[in-house]
Amino acid sequence: MNTLTELTGIGLRWDPSGQAGLTGPLLALAGDCDRAFQHLASRWGCPEEAYAATLPAAALHGHLRSFPHQVTFAAALDPAESNLAEFADGPVLDRSGAVALTRTAPVTAVLTPAACYHVYHAHRGEQLPAAAYVTTRNTCFRREPRYEPLRRQWTFAMREIVCLGTAEEATSFLAEARAAVDEFARLIDLPLAWTPATDPFFRPDHHPGHLLQRIQPVKHEATYGGSLALGSANLHHDHFGSAFGITRGGAPATTACLAFGVERWLYALVDRHGAEPGGWPDLLAAAGQAVAR
Amino acid sequence: MRSETEIRAELRTFVQRHAGQVAITDDMPLFTLRVLRSVHLPELIILLERLRGAPIDVEQLRMGDFDGIDAMMASFGGKP
Repeated sequence: MNTLTELTGIGLRWDPSGQAGLTGPLLALAGDCDRAFQHLASRWGCPEEAYAATLPAAALHGHLRSFPHQVTFAAALDPAESNLAEFADGPVLDRSGAVALTRTAPVTAVLTPAACYHVYHAHRGEQLPAAAYVTTRNTCFRREPRYEPLRRQWTFAMREIVCLGTAEEATSFLAEARAAVDEFARLIDLPLAWTPATDPFFRPDHHPGHLLQRIQPVKHEATYGGSLALGSANLHHDHFGSAFGITRGGAPATTACLAFGVERWLYALVDRHGAEPGGWPDLLAAAGQAVAR
Repeated sequence: MRSETEIRAELRTFVQRHAGQVAITDDMPLFTLRVLRSVHLPELIILLERLRGAPIDVEQLRMGDFDGIDAMMASFGGKP
């Protein structure tokens, strides 16, 4: 088990608000991780797509109802001169360190909760002549009751490989994706186990999405050490295809994604191979071999 | 509690109401084929609870419990 002292020694700059800065060897390892995941994505000829830090709240209607406890909103002050003056001339911060807000502008944006949401939003209305594969990375924001360095954070880096296609194409993608991750993990000597999982829905007993995840194998997590999910393979059926008007073969597209939580991979790699960078596996070489198989 | 025949008939009626023109069989994997969707699950669970005369603990649901009418009968059609 990694201690904060050990992790700090190799470059972690932990903020107890649930955010990690990376420097030195740990930053280099994060870069190698992400490049390795990009290399895995090359198996599907994925173009890279890069998106903003926020999404329109209007595009996340369902997500806001399902995960209100995790959402972080992008808020700003009402730009009226008098309102800004009231804020600037006021305390700005209260004694607890919280911002002493005056009137806020309407909140219309959400800080990215999952990197792949941008892909569906950006491809809305498209008629796909063939399956589309995309890779994207973003900083994601999820509020949690408690935080742990590299294991559970408010902000974290997520690399995703996304498939938009028919049901058969999405299902095949997930099978290949899981096999590629298994091979990659084997080559870097990182024992993983795929387990069925559910998302942390608000009021899960009444949530159709939670109920579906209990009875259908639509979400599997690649866990390390029995409980730490380093990634997940997700089948969305036509949920996003319908919501964003993306079609394939005249019907709403089926989508699927393979997601990697970069900081959690750092935790697992250091836990498995130690804090000495000389003992860390060659991630890029392993990814290359995994893709070649 | 209803008889097995009555429960099966009510389930067929529920499924057919949401299936449109799709011909239904008792072994059809309804959620895999998207005949039924997640939004139908709460209503379906309430229906099953009423038909069997006992609550269903959603935390005890297992993969395959709702794979078809046959599977639902096997999981929830008998005495709780």
